[in-house]
Amino acid sequence: MSNKQLRQRAKDLAKQHGYLPYMIERYLALWGEEETIQFIEACEEQITTSIRANTLKIDAESLQTRLQLKRVTLKPVEWLDEGFWADFDVSPGSLFEYMLGYYYVQGVPSMTVTKVLDPRPGETVIDLAAAPGGKTTHIAQLMDNTGTVIAIDEDRQRIKSLESNIQRCGVSNAIILRGDAKKLDKLERTPDKILLDSPCSGEGLIPLDPSRKTSTSMADIRFCATREDELLEAAVNALPSGGTMVYATCSIAPEENEYIIDEILHRHSEMSVVPIPLEFGSLGYPRPYGVELNESMTLTRRFLPHLHGTEGFFICKLEKE
Amino acid sequence: MKPELVDPVEWNELTDQLDEEFGEGVSKALLGERAPVTISRGDIKSFYLVPMEWIANLEEERKGFEIHSLGIRMGDLTKERFRLSLQILGPLAELTDRVLVVSRQGAESFTYSRSILKESVIKLDAHLKRGQRVIVLNKDGEVLGLAALSVDGNKLKRLARNRLVGKNLVDIGAYLRGA
Repeated sequence: MSNKQLRQRAKDLAKQHGYLPYMIERYLALWGEEETIQFIEACEEQITTSIRANTLKIDAESLQTRLQLKRVTLKPVEWLDEGFWADFDVSPGSLFEYMLGYYYVQGVPSMTVTKVLDPRPGETVIDLAAAPGGKTTHIAQLMDNTGTVIAIDEDRQRIKSLESNIQRCGVSNAIILRGDAKKLDKLERTPDKILLDSPCSGEGLIPLDPSRKTSTSMADIRFCATREDELLEAAVNALPSGGTMVYATCSIAPEENEYIIDEILHRHSEMSVVPIPLEFGSLGYPRPYGVELNESMTLTRRFLPHLHGTEGFFICKLEKE
Repeated sequence: MKPELVDPVEWNELTDQLDEEFGEGVSKALLGERAPVTISRGDIKSFYLVPMEWIANLEEERKGFEIHSLGIRMGDLTKERFRLSLQILGPLAELTDRVLVVSRQGAESFTYSRSILKESVIKLDAHLKRGQRVIVLNKDGEVLGLAALSVDGNKLKRLARNRLVGKNLVDIGAYLRGA
């Protein structure tokens, strides 16, 4: 397809499905027409709700038994011991078990991010852009409330939700810091691990929020990419030798994902992308839009609505020499 | 806002009050191997229990960042009244017999901010006095919140079904309401 034809086709599809043309143009260049249409159709489907059993308060089996009595059907997520696809008759946040902190309503990709980080008891872990606390509480859970989780966010209102979730889930090993994560170098703590689920365009959330079909311009994506690059740079600089970090976004845009990682690998020869020892999602793109990137992009992973029935997500695990 | 170790005199006053309300030695058991620290925000002073090894790092963590909270939130001191946090009620419930057990219907109602009527009460010890703060539990012993008794425990049997027994001070429904 010539560029002119591609633009016209993108325009037609965009009009037909209510997207901004530049978005469809990118999808066509990335995936071709058949997969783009599959993506568009999948974004019209509802994403299955999922919850994480909070093992700081209850074991997964007991939670299953209790929720079954309330006609909630749970199906285990294969690669997550504590994760379940859930079918609720009522709002998932309205049950006693939720108020008691027995579970957290969380997307499967988000739970997977923390599992990929693999926090261990006794470690010091920094969670950047931490609010509202899904990953912070999951990290604390995997560390069995030992060691230290430093949860950083800048927004006062969002920090209130973070603190509320920390309390509800019975987390006792977290420190909440308010401030600019880009100034991480001022924090005189040496973390074992850093999690950066970066603020992003949210282009992967179209199935959850259809307004995103038209709310984000290419300039917004560029703005997000700049911020993601700055945050990742700060995180890389704060990570000690031998440290591990996970970079993730809820965007499907290579400009916010593979491009960012490729840039960081160029600037930091001490950083490398490492394999993720869990079976989920599909591989990241080493040649998005025909642009040659570092071959290790195939070690990164993607969740895509049309392939995995989830919101779109990107996950990359990095280590520092 | 910067965290500081709690002044020993202030801590003694607070723990005396808690021990008097919830039982001798409760404060010491709650503290365990942790240290109490406070963060002041205007008229409110929040108390947290933190691992001893964090104390040395508190100064460093301030650089460029503001510590919003840390460890277990114990509660807030405001106008000389100490409000226990929801987070501390779980550990506290394991240490005290100052509890009020409510029925399933009472539990539902309580978590919608409502107070507790006689008809919802399953268990209340006779020795508890009016004004006493009690931890509210459901039949399974799960913590629902905190209430202040509006009647002496030994007068419960004489009350009509629709009379108030415990005034809701805080409940886990706050996690949904964002209170």
